[in-house]
Amino acid sequence: MSRRRTSEQRLSRLLVMLPWLMERESVPLAEVAERFGLSEAEVTEDLELASLCGLPPYADELIDLFIDDGVVFMGVPRVFTRPLQLTSVEAFELLVAVRAALRLPGVDRDGALVRGLNKLAAALGEPGIIDEDVTIEIEQPPAVDDLLEAVRRVEVVGMEYWSPSNDETALRRVVPRQVFTDRGRWYVTGIDTGLGASIDAIRTFRIDRIISLERTGEFVDPPDEELPAPGEWFGDPALTRARLRLPASLLWMVEKYPVDEIDHLDGGDVVEVVLAVTSEHWLARLMVRLGPSAEVIEPERWCDLRRSAAEVILQRYDSG
Amino acid sequence: MANPVERLTNLLALLLETSNPLSLHQITAELAGMYPEGLSASRGQFERDKRLLREIGVPIETEVAVGGDEAGQTRYWIDRHRYELAEVDLDDDERRAVQLAVAATRSRSDSAQAALWKLGAGRAGSEAIAAASIPNPPQLTTALAVLREAIAARAAVEFEYRSAARAVEPLGLLLRHGFWYLVAIDREHGERRTFRADRIEGEVVVGEAGAFERPSVDLAAAFPADPKLIAISDSDSEVLRTALVRVDQPQASLLEGDLGPQSVHRRGEDGSVEFSIEYRNPEAMRAWVLGFGPDAEVLAPDELRFGVIEWLRSTLEAR
Repeated sequence: MSRRRTSEQRLSRLLVMLPWLMERESVPLAEVAERFGLSEAEVTEDLELASLCGLPPYADELIDLFIDDGVVFMGVPRVFTRPLQLTSVEAFELLVAVRAALRLPGVDRDGALVRGLNKLAAALGEPGIIDEDVTIEIEQPPAVDDLLEAVRRVEVVGMEYWSPSNDETALRRVVPRQVFTDRGRWYVTGIDTGLGASIDAIRTFRIDRIISLERTGEFVDPPDEELPAPGEWFGDPALTRARLRLPASLLWMVEKYPVDEIDHLDGGDVVEVVLAVTSEHWLARLMVRLGPSAEVIEPERWCDLRRSAAEVILQRYDSG
Repeated sequence: MANPVERLTNLLALLLETSNPLSLHQITAELAGMYPEGLSASRGQFERDKRLLREIGVPIETEVAVGGDEAGQTRYWIDRHRYELAEVDLDDDERRAVQLAVAATRSRSDSAQAALWKLGAGRAGSEAIAAASIPNPPQLTTALAVLREAIAARAAVEFEYRSAARAVEPLGLLLRHGFWYLVAIDREHGERRTFRADRIEGEVVVGEAGAFERPSVDLAAAFPADPKLIAISDSDSEVLRTALVRVDQPQASLLEGDLGPQSVHRRGEDGSVEFSIEYRNPEAMRAWVLGFGPDAEVLAPDELRFGVIEWLRSTLEAR
């Protein structure tokens, strides 16, 4: 696994790796690699470069280290004993992450995270737990607490779930593994133990489509499958992409969903967007919401979706 | 010539360790063989190195020498106190909690991870059982960090937004439904405005600190979270109204769970439910109803019902 790393990336990584190593004196190479997201060869290459670093009037190397038998040994620290300060972007992202996490369900609001936040804020000269300048809103539906408890206990839940693509409600048995929110919606990812005899699969469900939820009191062994990162299924290259053209004023409707690409045309009044289509049904509804001035450019088989969807809804109004 | 990483590490160490500011001439002499021969070539390389170091956050100090052999020359050094991260002294459980917070917010950007490493924490993985995706493309977070500092400093900012130059007094940042908003007072109109931070074009230019008094603001109340309630204009067509919408099962149950029983106007024998829904923005209202497809129908008011029908007809007839 070889990849090109820029000098900037290599130097930044070295400047966090060196102080960490200096506090420890000897660390297995494999552990360094794992911790800093590098291969062992990359760690070796970078540390060997650093060990060449030398300035007069030092007789010895400035950074005294050697690697022997898969272990990194550090000598007497001289320079780079402390990490570089946080950049303003790093500090911002870190504090946002901590404050957002405090609004997630299941977080102990008197616990380690709050203490950590207060120490960080003090060190960075930022406000502590209450920041009047930045508000992070995360609202959660009531079902989230039950689902999260089921995740902790590795418990099977029974849920009546409505699926819009076939407009059917089915009872599913799911072992929830994670709950998450993305663009204001909540999802639960879990092992769908199958309708009938089909194979268990990791699936993501929208919590606002769960009609009823029941904790079964049945527990299973913790599965060791890796979960997909939340939101990643939208990025799944296997999903078909559609290219839409619409007035820029309607972009907000499309941006509720993960969009691969947005191109502004005609001085910005018209946009073309490319997005993953999870179901034809979903795209049809989106197109009818976008209305007469929006169209599917590609693929061709979906160009007429808006018309068929509009027709079906009109029938309801005509008969009413 | 030396490997660039080796050269940069040496330059950094030299500027950190020096007891006196150093001119370019002195730097290239100390780092013999690392910079190209000739003043303009070595100057060019040094400028690139300096820029790279500053980009990763290294504060390089400069001064112009007065008198002596180096008179008029720029000299460089690094102030160790400005370079080094202050001691944060996190306990192990606090450090783990912060790492988990980064994992839980999917801030899998290089910046958040770099911050964790600097604090002695490890890699944020996918260990969180409850998570929130927070948008963090680099251009956006750079703008947000600049705005954050400007708000704290009470400095006015200027930027391009929807192809127009804006000058505003920034009051705060709001993260809602996966988007960052800047709440600010538009200096031209003297009115409070909300800007989508990801639609800010180009660079945010920050003015002098202490340029305005910041009133106390409830950022969450700056604009309604529900798009149906956001009036775009001050016209009469956007006063608060109530629509009656019939929704079929099973979506009616889902909606009732979301809105609460007080939104129910009447229950039909077939299980359908008539909901009372408040709105100001007819376009957003229409889009909301159409999201239910043929499972929902506007019953009242007439102008909304006919508006939906007209919209559907023109969609059906569009070329």
